[in-house]
Amino acid sequence: MSDRIAGAIFLALAVWCWIAAGEYAVDFSDPAGPALFPRMVALPLGLLSLFLIIRPDPDPGWIRWPQVAGQIATIAVLFVYPALLEPAGFPLATMLATVVLAKILGASWLQAVLGSIVVSFGLFILFDWGFGLPLPIGSIFG
Amino acid sequence: METVGFLLNGFQEALTPLNIFLALVGCFIGTIIGALPGIGPVNGVAILIPLAFTLQLPAGSALILMSCVYYGCMYGGRISSIMLNIPGDEPAMMTCLDGYPMAKSGKAPEALAISGIASFVGGATSTVGLMLFAPILVQFAIHFGPAEYFSLYVLAFVTIGGVTGSNPAKTLLAATIGLMLGTVGLDPQSGVARFTFGDIHLYDGFQPIVAIVGLFAISEVLVLLETHHSERTGALPVNRAFARWADIKGTFGTMIRGSGVGFIAGVLPGAGASLGSFLAYTIERRISDEGNTFGTGNPKGVAAPEAGNNAAAGGALVPMLALGVPGSGTTAVLLALLISLNITPGPLLFQDQPQLVWGLIASLFMANVFLLLLNLPLVGVFTRMLSIPLWALMPFVVMISFVGVYSISHSTFDLVVMAAFGIFGFILRKLDIALVPVVLGLLLGSAMEANMRRALAISAGDPWIFVSSSISIGLYVATALFLVAAIYMAVSNRPLIDKPNEDEKGLNAD
Repeated sequence: MSDRIAGAIFLALAVWCWIAAGEYAVDFSDPAGPALFPRMVALPLGLLSLFLIIRPDPDPGWIRWPQVAGQIATIAVLFVYPALLEPAGFPLATMLATVVLAKILGASWLQAVLGSIVVSFGLFILFDWGFGLPLPIGSIFG
Repeated sequence: METVGFLLNGFQEALTPLNIFLALVGCFIGTIIGALPGIGPVNGVAILIPLAFTLQLPAGSALILMSCVYYGCMYGGRISSIMLNIPGDEPAMMTCLDGYPMAKSGKAPEALAISGIASFVGGATSTVGLMLFAPILVQFAIHFGPAEYFSLYVLAFVTIGGVTGSNPAKTLLAATIGLMLGTVGLDPQSGVARFTFGDIHLYDGFQPIVAIVGLFAISEVLVLLETHHSERTGALPVNRAFARWADIKGTFGTMIRGSGVGFIAGVLPGAGASLGSFLAYTIERRISDEGNTFGTGNPKGVAAPEAGNNAAAGGALVPMLALGVPGSGTTAVLLALLISLNITPGPLLFQDQPQLVWGLIASLFMANVFLLLLNLPLVGVFTRMLSIPLWALMPFVVMISFVGVYSISHSTFDLVVMAAFGIFGFILRKLDIALVPVVLGLLLGSAMEANMRRALAISAGDPWIFVSSSISIGLYVATALFLVAAIYMAVSNRPLIDKPNEDEKGLNAD
């Protein structure tokens, strides 16, 4: 079933790409134009997606309890971190993210906090001071 | 004998203090990355590429650093295979079979020493092979026009489909997904924005490095969260690797055979080190398994796969440097590094920048010597690192990915793209769709398209140009043969009626 859903999504993508590429026609001397290559790719993409729909593999196990909770929390960290990085600054944002990730992986609070201090300040010192790559410091430490 | 002259020039380039230092650092970091289960060579090199890029090293030095990391990973992978029975990276899987039984029966120092020497033999042989074969391939490829290059890319994508992954349809699908992702952004020839939804962030397309770090490193973290075992058994302390000369002498033929097999497997596009070690082990077992001792701690079963995977690592550099078509996942990542440094691999690279190519080859020889030294007397340092807990390692990997990507463009948008590619990569891996073809498509798509359009411009739109030369026709015939073989193998392995076997195909399919 998973393969069928994925196949349907990729098939829709291929069809959309084929149609969207149609608007890219430019009348320069370039005989291929910007539309030909995407269409040449969309064709096998669509056919292979069809194959996936017709002959799917058995479903993988998508969710495994209780690990899925850790995965969702990690994904949340992955998206919250970029939003937090510039307003909060690198050391604070990194510390928070590292504490959460370490807790997900079964560290104790003491381990998580100590580890996060090492990782955040270690990387900050290494990159900002050592390599001279400016990282946002944030208002707390600034 | 002009090769010798080139090589001497190469050593002049490689023996600068900076390059020696970078080679040493690369070997050291590479061995650690290889040894630690959970960060394989692709992930390790992918994470480090943004660093090499932002340190603003000269192109040659950056390439030396990353290639030494790559070679180092191949040496390091065996350590946790032998000590923990967990492969440090995928190519080291075969080394578990005989390495761990050896360690259990108290022969860990011998296993580490023999596999270390086998790695050296494999690495050195393949670097010689790279030195001899890459220029020959260049002589051949210099006659390639745009139409021939286009057919070469077609061949590369199809062979990858045939060689990697259990389901060729899915691997080919992965390549087309990558090619499609590669067309996002402004079309370089006409300036038309393609598939950008009008979002200005997407006008430059997807940065290959950002996509690679996401696809490999971040998805690996998500996979690890699912499969990790809460308690890892610690490795017994081993302070040095040691074997008697007689033990080593007995495996010497094995090492040479493994190196040859591995090198060939490495040169084939898309196969890479995992296939090299697998073939080397299987062939060696067939040749010299006296009394069924393979799998129970036969030193030859340690020597063969290690020689094989290290030789494949060097072999995979041949098509990457000579043709710009990488032979494995990690060389694809190295190609991404070269492209971001504005270097186009291929025959012209050997002509225009011989100091870069030969400097790299010379430093690979150097790296092999460094790695042998690091891995025999200092192996204790690396075995001790195996006890780093996951809760300390994984957040560090995630954070260094974030810093690396952020330091390229200083854009948080790229971090979101990286995270999105991480989830995408995780889903693809669950569906058993290989990631390497996606990356290759993304990387090579624009060159493939440019060659196609150049060919059509030369012929004024006549498509017959694609089959107008014997080289192109030969490459298409090879492509067709590969395709037929792949389909035949896929069909004969699988019954036409799908049987429900969900239980067998568990989570650890990849």
